[in-house]
Amino acid sequence: MDGPEGLRAPVLECVDVGKRFGAVQALDGLTMSLGAGATGLLGANGAGKSTLLRTALGLTRPDRGSVRILGLDTVRERSEVRRRVGFMPEHPCLPNDMSAQDVCVSLARMRGLGRRDAVRRTSEVLFAVGLEEERRRPVGSYSLGMQQRTKLAQALVHGPDVVLLDEPTSGLDPAGREEMLAIVRRLSTELGIRVVASSHVLDDIERTCDEVVVLRSGTLAAQRPVLVGHDPSGPAELRVSGDVGSFAAALEPRVAPFGVSLAPTATGDIGLSSSPDAALDAVRDLAADLGVGVERLAPAARGLEDVVVDAMAGGTR
Amino acid sequence: MTEVDPRQSPRAVLHDIRYSRFAGRLQPRRSAVGSFVASGIRRPLGLRRSAGAKVWPFLLLAAAYLPALAVVAVPLLVPAVQVQPTDLIGYPQLLTTNSVVLLAFVATSIPSMLTRDRRDRVLSLYFATALSWVEYVVGVVLAAVALLALIVLGPMLVLFVGSIATADAPGTWFADNAGDLPRIVGAAALVVLFHTSLGLAIGALTSKRVFAVGGYLAVVLVGPTLTGVVAAVTGADWPLSLDPASGPIRLATTFIGGGLGDPGVLAWVVWVVVVVGGFGVLAGRYAKGGDA
Repeated sequence: MDGPEGLRAPVLECVDVGKRFGAVQALDGLTMSLGAGATGLLGANGAGKSTLLRTALGLTRPDRGSVRILGLDTVRERSEVRRRVGFMPEHPCLPNDMSAQDVCVSLARMRGLGRRDAVRRTSEVLFAVGLEEERRRPVGSYSLGMQQRTKLAQALVHGPDVVLLDEPTSGLDPAGREEMLAIVRRLSTELGIRVVASSHVLDDIERTCDEVVVLRSGTLAAQRPVLVGHDPSGPAELRVSGDVGSFAAALEPRVAPFGVSLAPTATGDIGLSSSPDAALDAVRDLAADLGVGVERLAPAARGLEDVVVDAMAGGTR
Repeated sequence: MTEVDPRQSPRAVLHDIRYSRFAGRLQPRRSAVGSFVASGIRRPLGLRRSAGAKVWPFLLLAAAYLPALAVVAVPLLVPAVQVQPTDLIGYPQLLTTNSVVLLAFVATSIPSMLTRDRRDRVLSLYFATALSWVEYVVGVVLAAVALLALIVLGPMLVLFVGSIATADAPGTWFADNAGDLPRIVGAAALVVLFHTSLGLAIGALTSKRVFAVGGYLAVVLVGPTLTGVVAAVTGADWPLSLDPASGPIRLATTFIGGGLGDPGVLAWVVWVVVVVGGFGVLAGRYAKGGDA
């Protein structure tokens, strides 16, 4: 199992990784290091998410650069990678004529578990993903949500240190999606399994991951923690109607006692160094006194969505 | 007699089956491959599948074993019949009789061992988290060999064991005929390896089961016709050595006597080319360890 070194090593580390398929440059000098308990890979179609996951699993050999998962070289140490990594592909990958129980037992045995361990672990993972009642039915008779859960169960059955999930909510209805997101979140928070999940949907990543990585055209476009909420008294931006300069001059002495300083923003608005309630009250009162309209008063910190949209559209990191 | 304290001897035990990290000991890789082989044997036979999936393979198995069982059963059940099973049907005849069953079994089972995994798109799972490509190929080959041995070697072993059981002096009969055993195994190995290699190579070249089955049948059905025509035109026997259906049987019968004539060196060359080439195709197809 995961030793102390394995725990310290980054989940996934890429150094100048390049991979080309014919005319398409799927990965283009990708360099990054993922260390969070759960990391979400975001990107448009063709951004390189699936190629990155396949390269991390050793299914695709990079043209250049190196990829390490849990500190293991994915080309030279594939047997150890296979032992310590679980994988849930996006596409259907289960034999339709086998039951979920047989699929999991069979894969657990191939991954080196003894017969008794394989059966016990299968019961545990099928219970964990909510399939214990249906485990003996053929996979072909399952709903899409149940098939997704079976794929997740097989990824966990050998007790991996990290699981790579390729679009885990793909094709699920809203109820199935909710269930899958809850299970994925549990993996890193309760079960101690590190997760790398790719998705098109920012909301899925925000709800299940600690860090988000945005890929664009095979390169790293952004990497930042997923923040739950924001500081309500942090820096803010104020836009008012009328003469902005005179409003700022009048506002400055009113907010200075609260430790708030003003500075113009790049967009010509008034930037507040912080936004305690008293300072916001002062803004409101001054606007009322001068008969000025407050058009916008918002936190200056950019939200995750802004960062992701900018990154996917070609903005800076 | 001592009283058992019920507090120390619970009648039931609660097991916590919630998910936990696996901290057990992993088996050696040969055990994992053995499990893959067992799974590869079970699926074509329809084991742990619906009843319908068992019909065809067990029908063919019954057809393969029927001649051997019949000639063993008659002297066993009818004491008046004083004849050895091997006098009723010899090993070469049994091999020849079963050749049609063998071709049907190979066509419907062996190529699809590979096409099924690609149809189910399970290879990415195997190669990413379970097996190396070498383990996969070795596992598939061993499973195919075991399945075909069931069809080819099994009936001959039934005949051999049945002959011991029906002999007046079983010990003496075994001592006199023990030398047949390695020849039987050798003959079966020639046939099994040939069709394993051919069937798997064809299965490796396409992802569609129908093309794989059709391809194998085309080779073993069109081959004899072509070689027969060439033999008739040239008036020579050497083209018959190229026949993929009867070629390995002809080689095998040279091991166990009563053969179909000298197969010639060319038949051996064809056998080696098909077996080595087939396994080469298989290795080349999966050596990248991907699932394309």
